[in-house]
Amino acid sequence: MRWLERWQKWAFAAVPAIGLLELAAHAVQTHSVVPERDWKAARAYVVSQAKPEDLVAFAPRWVDPVGRELFGADVATLEREARPDESRFPRALEVSIRGAHVPGLEGWRRSSEQRFGGITVTTWDNPAPVHLVDDLVSMVDPQHMRVTRADAGGREAECTFVHGSPQSGGLGAGPATPGDRFACPGGGIVGASVMADLDYFPRRCIYAPPTGPGVLRLRFLGVRLGRVLHGHHGIYVEAERMRTGSPVTISFKAGDATVGSVVHHDGDGWKPFELDTSEVAGQRADVVAEISAPSGDRRMYCFEADTR
Amino acid sequence: MKLPALALPERIGWRDHVIGALLGSTYVAWLLSTARSLGFPRDEGVYFRAAADYVRWWRMLLEHPHEAIQQGAIDALWSQNHEHPALMKTLFGVSWWLLHEKWRVFSDASTAFRLPGMCMAAVALWTTYLFGARAWSRQAGLVAALLLGLMPRVFFHAHLACFDVPIMAMWILCVYVHWRAQERRGIGWALAAGIVFGLTLETKHNAWFLPAALVPYALFVHRRALWRGLKAGRVTLPASLVSMAVVGPIVFLALWPYLWNDTLARIQGWLEFHLHHEYYNIEFLGRNYFGPPSPKIYVPVMVLATVPTVTIALFSVGVWERGTLAMKRLRAGIRGLLGRPAGDAPRRDARETDLLLALSLLVAVGPFFLSRTPIFGATKHWLPAYPVLALWAGRGFVVVAAAMRRALPALDGRKKLAVEAALVASVVFAPLAVTAHSHPFGLSSYVPLVGGTAGGADLGLNRQFWGYTTQNAAAEYLNAKAPRGASVFIHDTTWDAWGRMQEEGRVRSDLRAVGTPHEGMFALVQHELHMSEVDYSIWVADGTDAPVYIVEQDGVPIVSVYRRQ
Repeated sequence: MRWLERWQKWAFAAVPAIGLLELAAHAVQTHSVVPERDWKAARAYVVSQAKPEDLVAFAPRWVDPVGRELFGADVATLEREARPDESRFPRALEVSIRGAHVPGLEGWRRSSEQRFGGITVTTWDNPAPVHLVDDLVSMVDPQHMRVTRADAGGREAECTFVHGSPQSGGLGAGPATPGDRFACPGGGIVGASVMADLDYFPRRCIYAPPTGPGVLRLRFLGVRLGRVLHGHHGIYVEAERMRTGSPVTISFKAGDATVGSVVHHDGDGWKPFELDTSEVAGQRADVVAEISAPSGDRRMYCFEADTR
Repeated sequence: MKLPALALPERIGWRDHVIGALLGSTYVAWLLSTARSLGFPRDEGVYFRAAADYVRWWRMLLEHPHEAIQQGAIDALWSQNHEHPALMKTLFGVSWWLLHEKWRVFSDASTAFRLPGMCMAAVALWTTYLFGARAWSRQAGLVAALLLGLMPRVFFHAHLACFDVPIMAMWILCVYVHWRAQERRGIGWALAAGIVFGLTLETKHNAWFLPAALVPYALFVHRRALWRGLKAGRVTLPASLVSMAVVGPIVFLALWPYLWNDTLARIQGWLEFHLHHEYYNIEFLGRNYFGPPSPKIYVPVMVLATVPTVTIALFSVGVWERGTLAMKRLRAGIRGLLGRPAGDAPRRDARETDLLLALSLLVAVGPFFLSRTPIFGATKHWLPAYPVLALWAGRGFVVVAAAMRRALPALDGRKKLAVEAALVASVVFAPLAVTAHSHPFGLSSYVPLVGGTAGGADLGLNRQFWGYTTQNAAAEYLNAKAPRGASVFIHDTTWDAWGRMQEEGRVRSDLRAVGTPHEGMFALVQHELHMSEVDYSIWVADGTDAPVYIVEQDGVPIVSVYRRQ
């Protein structure tokens, strides 16, 4: 048992060793920040590789602001940053540090990997790429959309498109109201905004809060239909997280055909839906989305949908 | 290590107060030298305003005493921030009035406001040193005080005109005075225990919990006398407890004029404010908590992630050694009760120091294991536990140093001194480096064990709160780059804080603060998980998702600066 005695004799050394290790680790950690030149090199590579339909994403999540700053809004676009999910992208260029990955790319096929100092750019292929036909969020303008609001008695009023200045607030204010929006008489707006979902992810979506009894009706003009209407809907995090609000229902029609409806309950978060449109696939028709809730209290509702 | 060069007498006395004062004043000097680079958190702005009101009332009391004690005058000047007691805000105000307004010792009003809080940090170090020196040895006390001051979160909060470090100081002072009162058993110490308890109540509501530590402790120390009294048909309570119960509330009420009218209703209001406190958002392990239940592992994870690991290691050694001794005593006691020979039981500590420290630690931190206790303050709400943590770390150091001497018996003279100095350095340098590096982003910094600031971000630990980092955005970007008269959305920073930063030349005076992103040419986001929603609003309002600048700590975003397109 001599080794045990020896170990006991020198066990005290563990404490100064911890102190020195901590000091060394501190020195390493504070000197291992990814330099701006690595970001610039990674950006040049991504710009040379990425096609408009590709996803460019940063990992870990906390480094996203740095990615947006140094890659710029032309690469870190709103469509990429505030994406509804990853399924619409055929390919992703993941820009990561510290060995992190974008969780949504799990299951994708790695096709290449490039290192730029502390940054790794991994190209991933979508194992189930989809053909996106039309994206309803990009149709929020007077050329492609009409909005009306019907009150509880069924009286319908046109919501006019306005070019105003955006309206935004601080914590708790809800999604910003975009400058370009449909404004309904008596209140209520519809416009493309970015909402924080229940997990605080950004979601580019059509902000269309129901204002109480009645129906908010969005008519998307001449939509090219696919086999499914794929989308998500959610409520701004601070309006949803207490789980005390009314459910919000959205119903879709394509031309004269009812496509289906989905209900969002508080706690559902950024909830996906997919409605079958195979019977009208290949046609072009108006798609009408009707949004309603028993109460409009803090129903800061947002949805996105595409045809595929 | 006997500190031979100093040749201090065995007895702890005035020289030790000099050492404690030196430790404290060195710490205050460090805090003062770094104070200007730390912006103003939300709460501080409120306390600055309250402090100025309170000192106006004290001046009125001196100049027009009859008018000052009218309810109208009291309510007019004491209603500001009446949910927190008055001691610290009064001291902030007095310091501001004398050291800034009157004598111009500090050119920054904020530094004068902050000085009493810094001095309270000095009191904490001083008391911790004395406690350790008296309980075990000067070496234990010295290491304990150093390790307490070298906790990054303590260093951060010690800068502020807030109550978290003051309650830490008053808590350990109260425990210390109570401990001395049991040892000395004179009326002076008993009276001091009551006065200090009253001052602690007057500092922050954490003091409500102190009796849960001090009462059982005092009863245990005096258990034999109590038992004898009970057998004789009388109840004899320790004088310190009586003093706490009688003198404490008198001091508390005397120093808080707001309670002089409608006393019961206002005390009830104070209690209810804290018993039903709003839950604020805070991130923990990647999830935003905004209400109960609070995560049960919050305290241990945050302690491990923010207290230097070598301090935790020494604390573990100290706890292990004291715990082993306590177990031996317990076994000997049980054997004694069973009529068996007690064996080689360790000598009894008549002061029951370890019991008091254990109770103090548990009571300080215990409420934060309850699922209904809000966790929005991160570690600041259990700072009162840290002096005890440091004291046991100091004790741990003594154990380690003794083991080193046993392992290296041949060393003597200079070599021995050099090795012992190296041992001190090995446990102090890392906390010193981590703490110094954490400034001014003390709330964003995490210890190397979890990977530093970036590791904390990887784990999804809170980045900051209170919006105090706007000053860094100004220092690093806005002051140099913003056009004259530009408007800035200041996010979580208060108008008070912004105004003070401009008054003190920390932010350019021509810049205009605005309350919504779309009003600003520039918009700031102080990064916290739940503040992401503000980030996204800026994307829509400004027409871009790309910041023009980011304030970073070790590559981790602290504040993003946007410029409207």
